[in-house]
This record gives sequence, structure tokens and C-alpha cells, in this order.
Amino acid sequence: MKALEAGLACCEVCHQILRIPSPKTEDRAALCPRCRSVVHARKPESIQRTWALTLAGIIFYIPANLLPMMHVETIAGTQSDTIMSGVIYFIQTGAYLIGAVIFIASILVPVLKILILIALLLSVQRRFPYLRRRRQKLYQLTELVGRWSMVDIYVVSIMVALVQFGALTRIQAGLGAVFFLLVVIVTMLAAMSFDPRLIWDRSPKESDV
Amino acid sequence: MERRYLCCPECDEISRLPSLRRPGRYRCPNCGHTLFRHQPGMVEKIYALNLAALFLFIVTVSFPFLSFQIMGMSSEATFTTAFVNLYREQDYLLAVALLTTTLVVPAIRILLYILLYGPLYHGIVPPFAAPMLKTLEAVAPWGMLDVFLLGILVSIVKLVKMGEIIPGTSLWAFAAMIVILAYAQSIFDPHETWERIDRAHGREPDLIRSVER
Repeated sequence: MKALEAGLACCEVCHQILRIPSPKTEDRAALCPRCRSVVHARKPESIQRTWALTLAGIIFYIPANLLPMMHVETIAGTQSDTIMSGVIYFIQTGAYLIGAVIFIASILVPVLKILILIALLLSVQRRFPYLRRRRQKLYQLTELVGRWSMVDIYVVSIMVALVQFGALTRIQAGLGAVFFLLVVIVTMLAAMSFDPRLIWDRSPKESDV
Repeated sequence: MERRYLCCPECDEISRLPSLRRPGRYRCPNCGHTLFRHQPGMVEKIYALNLAALFLFIVTVSFPFLSFQIMGMSSEATFTTAFVNLYREQDYLLAVALLTTTLVVPAIRILLYILLYGPLYHGIVPPFAAPMLKTLEAVAPWGMLDVFLLGILVSIVKLVKMGEIIPGTSLWAFAAMIVILAYAQSIFDPHETWERIDRAHGREPDLIRSVER
């Protein structure tokens, strides 16, 4: 039995079952007696918020890839590295494992995450009644892997911390790193604002059967 | 007979809680999401592991992290050098994100675990137990020490080609702390703590008679 159909709701924080007021209205909220959080039957404006944040992620993703992640300043001049040129550098120098880690964390994960979120949003909006368990697994995957995209940001930070030799060599963070950080934050927020219970909600047609 | 129910935050399914005698996990019958794990001894372990992590965290932030040498010149970084340099270069967003995800959130979490599970271990439900547990859960996604460790490893491989890298005392403490925190996180389950908080406030946990027709 679904909590919503019984006039109940599940507290997202402490999983307390509680009674939710006035069925058939849009904004159904109650205060959890246990952890004092506001409980909604479904996350409010979940689809709109997730769309907005996902689109913001796509927009930030473009400068994140085009602008340099870091600048290496030496006496000979300044060399700038983007995400892709960093990956290519690792592959060329034979560090395949590290190249693969950076490629997966910085390119594959954000793109997959955005694609999965779009697919989930469309499927929920169309009330697609199949593959619910698979779609839920996909959602759990996006929640799980999103944070690992931060690896590249940390690499840039550590390089900035260690390579400071005045005029000889120094490394500075580039604007691409800032945009990439925004991609990570915004897509994490998008995954959080999506309500997986929408995947399981039955359309009126289904409930009749 | 009283019946206890659980709800699934992922798929909204309400299910009966079977009587649990042996340790194990209880999954949602609809979607298979783990609703909670019954594991006696979790409170003791969480308290002990986080005390150890606190000690290692103090070591991590107070000793040199990595040294790096090129052509006779050397630079030394502590845990907070990256933040200080980014801040000085006016990369405020990067600096704040770095500080939040690797220092502030992990420190808050370790302290909250100790403040909450220390008293619980001694049989007392501390004041503000509910807000503390709520905060622990809310900030969890933003603590990224494990990702940071991967970042350190990648940077070391990158820098080895340019000069000489010397790992400092705190790198070892940090690595040990990550292992301890990962283990603590893997056994942590708030469900039984919420029930204890409930009983301390004189409420019966998750009893819904109205669910039954």
C-alpha cells in the first residue's frame, strides 16, 4: 500500500509515518512529531526545480569544458590546461589509470548524470508506467556518483597549494574550475530535488484497474 | 497485538515490520531499498570509531601534509594550505567549497556523532538529540573526504613527473581516518536511534493503528 493513497506520508529525514492533511490538494504538508521537519507528501515543485537545476548544469558544463582548469606559469610562459587536455596529457604520457579516473569523474559522470536526470524527468512527466525499479536504481546511481566529480577540483586545489615557487613555477586555478564546481553543485542539488516516489506514483488510469 | 510499520522514502510503500531477532537488514518489499538494519552494537562502534577519527583529524590538520621539491627548491603544504592559497588568489568560490567539503562538514559530522553517540552509549538520550541527528543526515552529501583522498592520489601521480614528492605525517593519519570513517558510515543506521529518541520523549515509535482497515 502507498502512503499517499492511505492519507499518510513518510518523513524524508527520520522515516516516521504521519498523517497528512486534506487529500486531493496540491501542497500537503505536516510537521513531523519526531524530528520537527516539514513533511510533504511529495517534494514540492520537484519536477520544475529539477528541470531548472539540470538545465543550469548543462549551461555551466559548456564553459567548464572550454575554459582552462588551471594555468601553469613558468619563466618560459604560461600553459593552460582544460579538462580534456589534462586527460589527453595523461594518456600520452602512459598514465592510463589516472587518465581513466579523470575522464570518468570529470566527463563521463556529469554527462551521464544530466542524461539520467532528463530521462527520469521525462518518464515521470509522461507517467511512464514501466521499468520502475530500473529507473529507481538509475536515480540512486546519480545520487551515489555525483560527488566523485569533485576529484578534478581537488586536484587543481592541491596543485595550487604545492606548486608555488614564485617566478620559477607557479600554478593558478582557472575559471573553468569555478564553472566545473558549479556543475557539480548544481547537479547534486538537482538530484536532491528530484522525488523518486514520483517514479512509483500510479496514473489515474492504472489505479482504476 | 500491536503492529509496527515502516515507510519507504524511495517508493512510498508502507510495509509491516517483521519481528527482528537476529541482526540483518530489512528491505522494502516493493522496491528493495534497505529500510533499516538491525545491528546490536552499532552505538558503541559509532562512538569508538568517531573518537578515533577525531584524534586522527587533529593529527591531520596539525602536521605537514605533503612536501614538494623541484631543483633544490621545496614547498610544504598542510591540510589548509590549498584553502589559504586559493583564498589569496581571490578564487573565493573554490576556496569556500574546498573548506566546506573537506574540513567544516567532516568536522561537524565527527563532533555530532561523538556528542550524540557518547551519551547514548552511556544510556542517556542527550538534549537536542533530534536536531543533531537531523543535521548529521542533512550535511552528509557535502562531506567529501573520500573524494579528496582520490584527488590527492591523482595529484601525487601528476607531480611525481615534475619533482620529488615527500608524504608528510598527516597524509598517513588522513588515509587511516578515511578508512575508519568509511567503515563507520557503512554500519551507521539512524532508525534505532530515532526509536530511542521517541521513547525518551514518551512516544511510541511507528505505531499506526489507523493504517489497518
